[in-house]
Amino acid sequence: MAIADVKEYTHLTDEEVEQIGRELDALRKEIEESRGASDAEYINRLIKIQRGLAFAGRVTLLLSNKKPAWALGASMLGIAKILENMEIGHNVMHGQWDWMNDPEIHSSNWEWDTAQPAEQWKHSHNYIHHQFTNVLGYDNDIGYGVLRMAREQRWSPYYLGQPIYNALLAGLFQWGVSLHDLDLERIRKGKKDPKEMKRQLKQIGRKIRGQIAKDYVVYPALSGPNWKTTMTANATANLMRNLWSYMIIFCGHFPDGAMHFTEEELEDETREEWYLRQILGAANFTGGPLLHILSGNLGFQIEHHIYPDLPSNRYPQIAERVQALCQKYDIPYTTGPLHRQYGQTLRTILKLSLPNHMTKDKNPTQPERSDTANTYEQDLRRKSDAERQPRRTELGGWSRGGKQRMHD
Amino acid sequence: MDPAPRSFPDLPLDEELGTPVPFACGTGELGAPASARELDHRRVTQCALSRICGVCGSGLGRPIAFLGSPEEEARNAFHFPPSHLDCAERLLGVYAEVRGSVLGQREPFDSWVIATTGGFEYVRPRREDVDRRATFEPNSLLEARRVS
Repeated sequence: MAIADVKEYTHLTDEEVEQIGRELDALRKEIEESRGASDAEYINRLIKIQRGLAFAGRVTLLLSNKKPAWALGASMLGIAKILENMEIGHNVMHGQWDWMNDPEIHSSNWEWDTAQPAEQWKHSHNYIHHQFTNVLGYDNDIGYGVLRMAREQRWSPYYLGQPIYNALLAGLFQWGVSLHDLDLERIRKGKKDPKEMKRQLKQIGRKIRGQIAKDYVVYPALSGPNWKTTMTANATANLMRNLWSYMIIFCGHFPDGAMHFTEEELEDETREEWYLRQILGAANFTGGPLLHILSGNLGFQIEHHIYPDLPSNRYPQIAERVQALCQKYDIPYTTGPLHRQYGQTLRTILKLSLPNHMTKDKNPTQPERSDTANTYEQDLRRKSDAERQPRRTELGGWSRGGKQRMHD
Repeated sequence: MDPAPRSFPDLPLDEELGTPVPFACGTGELGAPASARELDHRRVTQCALSRICGVCGSGLGRPIAFLGSPEEEARNAFHFPPSHLDCAERLLGVYAEVRGSVLGQREPFDSWVIATTGGFEYVRPRREDVDRRATFEPNSLLEARRVS
């Protein structure tokens, strides 16, 4: 298989790759079979806490003309939004809690507190990002169509402004994400199905109207004479959520060690190979339980990518086993403290704002390939669903910056 | 996100069978005529991960329905992706009388089954699997009934 072309895997035999797959399957089965009341209790309790925080925040902001009430209310509301988006909404929409058959906590009908409609998120994130993880030209999360995050992406003078675009993306994250599934590039080129574009725009319009009405009209109005300070507090809560979710998401795939893949096709990729690509393409960060809950357990990004639909409260338990498996087979497992992971991400953003010849490529030499996967001039533009090839065994060229390796 | 979801009456027709082609069957090769014989693997994956209906292509509801053969029901592993219950029933209303391999089925069987569930596991094929199609395993089965 072509993933063997990646240096870290050349030591693995086909039997070992199959054995890794079997062990990860067994782990999945074990978690599936042990899912039960305590997991249900976890998500129900968390939703109760989140709603309590949101309610307390909104009530406190009725007195937002007092500075302590403003600060407390904005903080509680910001944390409530973070919990709702990260640990609840994101994970519910993956179907992590569908097994409970709860009419409310279900991937089919959960609508989250952010500008992007849930349906579009489930396409752009659950399908495009999770299926084509870190494959250039396929995974639209690589730089969100705004940033250059891999050396293989062609440089243009536009990218000199990358530090500014990055700051704007972070601050306006929910609005950027709301347009993510629209695929502005295809619209600009007139390649987007007009019927689908209209349908998506209507969805986005409806959602944005609701979000704006809630945070900038209804709740400020309820504050009466304090409407202006409530509005600024709500904006602050949204900004808190934007910055936090941006940082957590970027730390999932852009620290040193998380690889990018260049693909011509992904057809017939087996489950074992898919597992390996997920492990290689993701990066974890370390921290305490509170940090993990606030980040939607995406500090276990590797485990989330291997098992996106298993309950997030089980990721810490799963991570111990996955890490041991990676050590056993000498597979890279990228992790580190959050500040270091984000520092590396930021360094990549700054570095790649310049042309390749002006910066050092710390990546090891690309493995020689007989096919076209090493040809970086290949078509890396965003693709429609119809253009996204089925999976194939050949995982292509790769890039890494690799310092943080568990096995190093 | 293309193409746009289509309601049941708007589904394209299979040129050979004259029956509606569900979203999960897609069009095979880019630009090829729509066919209800085989599943389009890209769309099967899309349905699984995006949580959309394999018949109409819009977001799933509750309960989630799976249609397949009695054998698939017995091993709790379906090939056709999740659907709205209403879409599955309407589709089988058309295909109950169609003979031969359709909707990704490869072996003939007596009657279709519709199983409803709260959730499912999406299982990718393993390297040693002879049948390289992905399967769906309902994880909170509500009901399974024969449709003849």
